[in-house]
Amino acid sequence: MYRFVEHTAELELELEAPTEAALFEEAFRVLAELTSGDAQGAAVHHELELEGEDHALLLVDWLHELLFLAEVEELVPETVVSLELAGGGLRATVGGRRGHPRHLVKAVTLTGLQLRLEGGIWHARLVLDV
Amino acid sequence: MHVSFSTSELTRLDETTWEIPRTGEMKVPARVFADPELLAAIAGDRSLEQLVNVATLPGVVEAALAMPDIHQGYGFPVGGVAATALPDGVVSPGGVGYDINCGVRLLVLPLTDAELGGRRESLVHELSRAIPSGAGKHGPLGLSPRELDEVLVAGPSALLERGLCHEEDLERTESSGCLPGADPAMVSERAHLRGAGQLGTLGAGNHFIELQRVGELFDAAAARAYGLSEGGLTVLIHSGSRGLGHQVCTDYVRRMDSIGDRYGIVLPDRQLACAPASSPEGQAYLAAMAAAANFAFANRQAMAAAVRGAVSRVLGRRAADETRQVYDVAHNVAKVEQHGGREVLVHRKGATRAFPAGSADIPSVYRPVGQPVFIPGSMGTASFVLVGDDGSMQRSFGTTCHGAGRALSRTAAKRRIAGSDLRRQLEARGIVVRCPSNQGLAEEAPLAYKDVERVVEVVERAGLARRVARLLPIGVVKG
Repeated sequence: MYRFVEHTAELELELEAPTEAALFEEAFRVLAELTSGDAQGAAVHHELELEGEDHALLLVDWLHELLFLAEVEELVPETVVSLELAGGGLRATVGGRRGHPRHLVKAVTLTGLQLRLEGGIWHARLVLDV
Repeated sequence: MHVSFSTSELTRLDETTWEIPRTGEMKVPARVFADPELLAAIAGDRSLEQLVNVATLPGVVEAALAMPDIHQGYGFPVGGVAATALPDGVVSPGGVGYDINCGVRLLVLPLTDAELGGRRESLVHELSRAIPSGAGKHGPLGLSPRELDEVLVAGPSALLERGLCHEEDLERTESSGCLPGADPAMVSERAHLRGAGQLGTLGAGNHFIELQRVGELFDAAAARAYGLSEGGLTVLIHSGSRGLGHQVCTDYVRRMDSIGDRYGIVLPDRQLACAPASSPEGQAYLAAMAAAANFAFANRQAMAAAVRGAVSRVLGRRAADETRQVYDVAHNVAKVEQHGGREVLVHRKGATRAFPAGSADIPSVYRPVGQPVFIPGSMGTASFVLVGDDGSMQRSFGTTCHGAGRALSRTAAKRRIAGSDLRRQLEARGIVVRCPSNQGLAEEAPLAYKDVERVVEVVERAGLARRVARLLPIGVVKG
């Protein structure tokens, strides 16, 4: 589940999920919605490997990776085929189509960055630069 | 730290200046240029909390400053200014922002709106065709890796041989379009990849090209120096360093976030991640930032060339040849300057340098009157040409505001007005609109912004800059 919090200039995002991996997948879905665009090209998959002990930063890096693929590889992201989170990083395969993604989101900031387990639910908070 | 501020917590220093006194981890006070109405709007979001956070940066001097268009951003507020003492005061990539050297360039056409007559729509249409918009669009200039590095080092002068730049354009660009010390080796491969195809592209969000009619003149001498006359036509280009600049900021915020312990830096917001300017990390960022800033100057240069091309196709070659650049100013940058008898690094995030008459750092042609400053209004409202005033050197590190400043979130703006309605309203006022997205149009609706007339009145009363001319929109191209 996600919701946007009121922010004067950017997009502030709150995420919730039952597991940490599910939260990363939810973050992917938000970004996929924000970058959805003309996706008439070939289906493509990208394998991603990211390192990092700090999983809040890993969440930021995960989204930056997707922004990079959208801008340089013209990936219109659609699905998370697989995603594994471990202490030291993330390994995932994402799918989508080549096309003309919307590039609404420019970057993922560290302002107010949070990732925490509370009451058995994973919560995250991010501010996206748009 | 405070989460929000009541205006009663601020001390009024004079008619247009409020102060949050130094407390807690603040190293200097925080000051806001505003009037009571703008201050009330400013206190409505978290921009004052962010300004107070800026006042905790190591090496910050005098005060953390907010221009009257301040609003909540990330790390620094947008409209925030902070100077750190060199050599060891910090540089904060978040204090410059993701869109390094986002800025504006004003061109003046050699004819009046009356002479343009019925060709207005054709000209706006041609502008929209000539300049790719939307965030990831690939530009008209295919740059090899070597050519891209030349742009990163030299800025728009690297486009001279391609015939996309006039010598006079360089003279009339802040820092002549080239920040010293730029080093492409400090720019990551990813940033190179993102920038390679984007030179000469507008981008999305609040970036735009506007065709304007010069309205009221407030300062005849400065207007004459800038080549502005009532009824004349101008083109304002607002864009930045595109994906290349975003990646540079991303890379260095992450890098500096990881080294705070090394320098004993504790911050209230991770986005303020910083390092001493004299450190290897600080020096590397400044070299990469300069490269991204030079790319942004060149990006606006390439778009200016495209504007001249559009003018040529609609109005003839002579009109294109006589289209002159007034100036090009940066909004998001950190610069080494002398203030108060010392060398400081001035971070301007959503703020404009506004040097007064006599400054050695402005083009000789403008030295008798002062540096031109351009304050875009919101879409459909007036923009202003200002001139830097003496008070800016005494009160704001030679800085003034950069726009009207957002007052409503994008979501709130879309709740208040539909893009299709706004399009009709603008067109009913004779403004030609070229924007593919109604949603994008609504997000930038005038009601989402503060009143630009009030903002420029405050900077004038504060002695930071004076009004020269009001520019009225007659055509808008948006990504």
